[in-house]
Amino acid sequence: MDKHRLGFIIAIVSAVLVLLTTYLAMFYAPLPQTGVRSADEIMSSVEGSHIQVVGFVCAVVSRTGSPVVDVSETTVFSLADLVDYQRFRVASIEGHLGEQWWTVRPIDATVTSGGPLPGPYVGGEIALGANLSVHAKVVEESIGPNSAITGFSLSIPDSKSVSFDLGGGGFGTMSAPVAQKIFYFHMPSAWISYLAFFVTLVSSALYLKSRDAKYDRWAHSAAELGVLFSTIAILTGPIWAKQEWGVYWRWSDTKLVTTFILWLVYIGYLMLRASVSDSGTRARVSAVYGIVGFVTVPMSLLSARIAPLLRSSHPEVIASNTGGLSPEAGLTIGIAVVAFTMLFITMLIKRVEIAESEEELEELKRTIGGED
Amino acid sequence: MFLFSLLMVIAFRFGFSDAVTSNAVTIESLAASALWICFSFAAIVGMHTAFAKEKDRETLEGLLLCPVDRSAIFLGKALSSFVLVFLVDVLSIFFFALFFSFDFGGNLLGVLAVAFVGTLTLVLVGTLVAAISVNVRAREAMLPILLIPLIAFTVIIPCVNATRNAILGDLAESFRDLLSIAGFAVIFGVIGYLAFDFVVEG
Repeated sequence: MDKHRLGFIIAIVSAVLVLLTTYLAMFYAPLPQTGVRSADEIMSSVEGSHIQVVGFVCAVVSRTGSPVVDVSETTVFSLADLVDYQRFRVASIEGHLGEQWWTVRPIDATVTSGGPLPGPYVGGEIALGANLSVHAKVVEESIGPNSAITGFSLSIPDSKSVSFDLGGGGFGTMSAPVAQKIFYFHMPSAWISYLAFFVTLVSSALYLKSRDAKYDRWAHSAAELGVLFSTIAILTGPIWAKQEWGVYWRWSDTKLVTTFILWLVYIGYLMLRASVSDSGTRARVSAVYGIVGFVTVPMSLLSARIAPLLRSSHPEVIASNTGGLSPEAGLTIGIAVVAFTMLFITMLIKRVEIAESEEELEELKRTIGGED
Repeated sequence: MFLFSLLMVIAFRFGFSDAVTSNAVTIESLAASALWICFSFAAIVGMHTAFAKEKDRETLEGLLLCPVDRSAIFLGKALSSFVLVFLVDVLSIFFFALFFSFDFGGNLLGVLAVAFVGTLTLVLVGTLVAAISVNVRAREAMLPILLIPLIAFTVIIPCVNATRNAILGDLAESFRDLLSIAGFAVIFGVIGYLAFDFVVEG
């Protein structure tokens, strides 16, 4: 089978899969639950069992320039103080914060008696009779009472245990279920942008090693598509966030900010390419920048400074073990990822072909002796 | 460079004049951000001149003809820029203390330590990017476009944090950030050392 026919088949398949994804996302994937319950409900269900929730110990992140938050390090709030899971009105407790809403982010959970705790952050199960104390941080000024945040929830699935989800996200509880549909396009786009930037990284390294212009074309094409797909991800995210969080963007959310920085790095990469005229120099310097650029962002995520922030309120698809996807939604997102990957491959092949033609054209122009 | 740091601090003094006198912003919180904006821009200006002059006077060619490993040129450039930028850092801290009537007190050493490590990271990545951008049309504009995204997470955010903690006297917290900044200094140093050859050849 020749190359063009193969490319054509991949293109057709990806088009069909994208359409299928759209169909599945619209009509097949179920809406996520809107299981937002009030603190009273939670308390009553908890009190019915032998679980005792000690409360939230709030450590306050200092916020420069804002009204001084003087909730002391060891203030214990009981669960009843929570108006909904993650946000509470400090004013209702102490009255010295003004009428502001604050996001409470659990940073640590310990079981004082009764049983082990599977993980400090993500959900798990504790045995009957355990005293659970959750340390939480007042993280940021929050967004108002109307948008519930996936977060701290307590439920009793059976008589033996209490499972809890410490702000891990997932799709167990969402206040804007319809907006969640955009996830089937948002998440594959984000994944493809990482893949594309990774292709750029590898091609750049290969170029520096082999000096084959082929790899330079791959690096350039992949970077361009990476910017395209991350733009889609960055634009579709806020549409959902506005519904779910009440704001379009959160500067405190590591995932959002690193994605944005990555986007800026590759915009810079493309600008760099556009402003070097000599093709050899362009390939060399952009390859080096492509490598440095990719390295910084994942490294930033791993660095000690950022690690505490990693628990962003952005839903984790792969990491969450509670409140995860239903099988139908899982199938839809699976097909969406395959569809976008195929789409990316198709576009990458086409883009590389265009780059080849452009170079051929340049070559022809030079041969004829015309102006550049 | 003396004048540069003076003017930067004066710009902050005027810009935040109202905010500081009305106590909308505390000097402690302003200091970390203001100083690191000064340091970053000082580095960008410094890094640019480090290569632009060499390129314009074509002395870079001469430098490359030296019978030494090119990575040595990278380290040399980084070192000279470091001395220059760190000098600006110290001056900026001095001017800041002067114009904002702010006493760093015993925490000055911590602030200087953060400035030292942060500036090291800054010049290591800056030298590589400056060597890249010197090949480019409109290179004055290109350097910040290429450099700022790279240093946003690796230098600016942790350094501002570490400086603020140092000013507030929380050295343990400051040290944690300092470690990650130093980690990036190593990463950028290694990448620069290995990749510099590719950038300047030809």
